[in-house]
Amino acid sequence: MINIPKKPPPSYLVTIGIPFSILFTVFSFQRVGFNLQDFRENLANRAIVTDPLFNPKWSWAWENTADAMVETVQIAILASIVGCAVALPLSFYASRATNLNKYSYFLYKSFLNLVRTIPDLFWAMLFTVAVGIGPFAGVLALIMFSLAIMGKLLSETIDSIDPGPMEAAKATGSSHNQTVFTSALPQVLPNFTAYFLYIFELCIRASVILGLVGAGGVGRIIETQRIFLRFDRISPIIVIILVVVILIEQFSVWIRRKIL
Amino acid sequence: MNIPKQPISQRILKYTLTTAIVFASLWSAAGLEITIERIIDAPRQIGILVGAMFPLDTSQEAIDRIIPKVFESLFIAWAGTVIGAIFSFPVSFLAAQNVAVGAVSKITKQILNAIRAFPELILAFVFLPITGLGAFTGTLALGIHSIGTLGKLSSEVIEGIDEGPLEAIKSSGGSKINELIFGVIPQVMPTITSYWLYRFEINLRASAVLGVIGAGGVGQELINQLRFRDFPRAGTVLICTIALVLIADAISASIRNRIIQGKVVKS
Repeated sequence: MINIPKKPPPSYLVTIGIPFSILFTVFSFQRVGFNLQDFRENLANRAIVTDPLFNPKWSWAWENTADAMVETVQIAILASIVGCAVALPLSFYASRATNLNKYSYFLYKSFLNLVRTIPDLFWAMLFTVAVGIGPFAGVLALIMFSLAIMGKLLSETIDSIDPGPMEAAKATGSSHNQTVFTSALPQVLPNFTAYFLYIFELCIRASVILGLVGAGGVGRIIETQRIFLRFDRISPIIVIILVVVILIEQFSVWIRRKIL
Repeated sequence: MNIPKQPISQRILKYTLTTAIVFASLWSAAGLEITIERIIDAPRQIGILVGAMFPLDTSQEAIDRIIPKVFESLFIAWAGTVIGAIFSFPVSFLAAQNVAVGAVSKITKQILNAIRAFPELILAFVFLPITGLGAFTGTLALGIHSIGTLGKLSSEVIEGIDEGPLEAIKSSGGSKINELIFGVIPQVMPTITSYWLYRFEINLRASAVLGVIGAGGVGQELINQLRFRDFPRAGTVLICTIALVLIADAISASIRNRIIQGKVVKS
């Protein structure tokens, strides 16, 4: 007779968590107004959207989107460069390895967390109110967006650097700032470059929708056509955006391979 | 002292990169008509906006309007994640190279890539005329986008499993189905569950934004208050959203840690 060990009892996470999540799911679906019958009836009317969506007006899109598309790319370039440049010193302050003061570390860390909780489009809305409608608001919004991501990624990378070079620099009598500048910064620069390219890709994707709240870029044209339900004009714009995004991503992959 | 010089090719690369970055930002700034005056003036204008938000509008009427909207965002995010999880789970097996046949896996992966390419907001405004203004449209958009992202992540988890248990099941006479149920699923379930929770955190931020185009959630409230220049109330909306995101993030992150790292056994 084999002595099979007894199965340990399931943890509280399973015994409480699974029924709770099922209940919460049912409740959520009820609250968002999920109704299969209505959904099926609505789906019968899908021709309003799908007919124009699959009959794109290419000539219209070519004439009207080129300028806005360039604007979108410009917003993404400027915002990712400025955002990452600002995030570089900030993330050294928000890392335990390079900031010796516990309180200022906590302050910078929570500032970065706070910036990260606000979605990119909320920033865009706030900045359009503050500095006026236009691409400048979009640039500011994406600066906050890239600042938050870069701050989190880079400060966590700095946390895990090799302390050896910093100790060596300290042993030669350098001040704390000199230690960070000569021993910590060169260690994270390759990561910084990789993150920068990644954030640039994210910014390109994010800048497409900024125009929905009036913060410039190609979203502005989508928004005006969306209000008039001109899906025959929107679908070619979406395709153009997808092509541009994919091309830029390929370009960034190519640069990454060249540099790193 | 003889300090070795950086090799010439490296220096050329360094200078070209610097000039490229400087020129790209100048070109962009010029194209967007961003002048020095506007940059200098921006902090003052932002200060005015932030100043107008305080003191926050905490009247009973405002709270009664805002809190249900904030929770609606939570429900949209959860329901969207559940849709994504339920549909992406079987699909991810089809997309994994070591489980499905080569051709099936390639085709499924391309379909998932295509779904992922569309942002949630674009999906939402395509659905808007069909399913109407409201939370359900947002749920549907988030759900479909989540199928793409979760399917990709889950299939990569399945591709990274240890083949040993599968061989053990095969050698004891188990069928292909037995292999999946007793070999693959127990191995991938913890990681996939943590990806679901991670996706929920992302969807929470996305669902807050969806209201901008009328697909339910707190974004609608924020854009309305900003349009009507009711800044104290907009500030309340913002603070409530931040609180919800922070709390939900903290809970979800602690559950993810527990799932991935396991129970801490006291010895």
